[in-house]
Amino acid sequence: MKRLALAKLVKARVKADDIVVCGLGATEAAFKEAAPINPTYYASDPMGIWASIALGLALARPDRRVTLLAGDGDLLMNLQVLATIAGAPAKNFRIVVFHNGAYSSTGGQPLAGKPSFSGVAKSVGFDWAREARTEEEAGKQLDALFAQPGPALLDVWLEDEPAPTEPPGPLSQVEVRTLFMKSIS
Amino acid sequence: MILEQLKKAGINLVASLPDQWLGDLIRQCEADPSITHIRLAREDDGVGICAGAWLGGRKAALVCQNSGVLLAVNALGGIAFHHQIPLLVIAAHRGHWDDNQYYQMYKGRICEPVLKAMGLPHWVIEGPEQLSIISDAARQAYLNRLPVVVLLRKKALQ
Repeated sequence: MKRLALAKLVKARVKADDIVVCGLGATEAAFKEAAPINPTYYASDPMGIWASIALGLALARPDRRVTLLAGDGDLLMNLQVLATIAGAPAKNFRIVVFHNGAYSSTGGQPLAGKPSFSGVAKSVGFDWAREARTEEEAGKQLDALFAQPGPALLDVWLEDEPAPTEPPGPLSQVEVRTLFMKSIS
Repeated sequence: MILEQLKKAGINLVASLPDQWLGDLIRQCEADPSITHIRLAREDDGVGICAGAWLGGRKAALVCQNSGVLLAVNALGGIAFHHQIPLLVIAAHRGHWDDNQYYQMYKGRICEPVLKAMGLPHWVIEGPEQLSIISDAARQAYLNRLPVVVLLRKKALQ
């Protein structure tokens, strides 16, 4: 399964007032290509911190569903955050892992080890954490994910594909976050 | 008391990682129904949580040891400072004249120079009579749209 196919499956299930935090690099390129209509905060440097940012948003906005589209390398960098999320009162928070086992934006270097994010999530206390390996399975499990109270995690295994190189956008991080905050206020 | 200062600043979300000196504060955060307390396993996750909360309109603080501030330097610099996101860090200032363990000492020696190099405002609270600095520091953070770090000596945490 290719990452764009997963991005389209996610987009089809995200409501217009849902908040998405989208991992940087290949995940960002795929979700942008899927053309979501909901407010989305696209990650920038530093890696490793976007799961906790998404959790903070979910805790601040319990009235909205918050979904993190996590790059696998990004999530692996601060894997312990899953334990913090498991213990947090965040029924509105869900995670979809774009899992191709490689650092796509930097040339496809393999990740250290062979992490199962659903396995880790379960072991640190998630009530609901599953994986999907085909497009059909991913569609079904995404439906199940959004039917669950959070925190919940779906680990979707993808083919390793080269990542498109994105030119830097015209806006600074301060400008991007100001526009994002306005879009959800 | 410290929790009252946080509440005065409008903070109702606290992410913490324990330190021996922070036991009372963390217990109070746990026990107070008006505070959402989040247990961290690593301090830079606390920077992320506080930053995300502010994006959503909620004020939050990270409570940790000063070694946690050192660990969170990249998150403080790359997220909070670079995106101009205010948050308050309340840290036990280990490794100074009021500490008594060899392994704490590097923290007291390097924490303030590192904060200075980062350009982050920070304040050292010597004792309980100076605790009102905490809500002032939070206001400074929100007005500056930058993180502010408050380092507390042992006497201020007892």
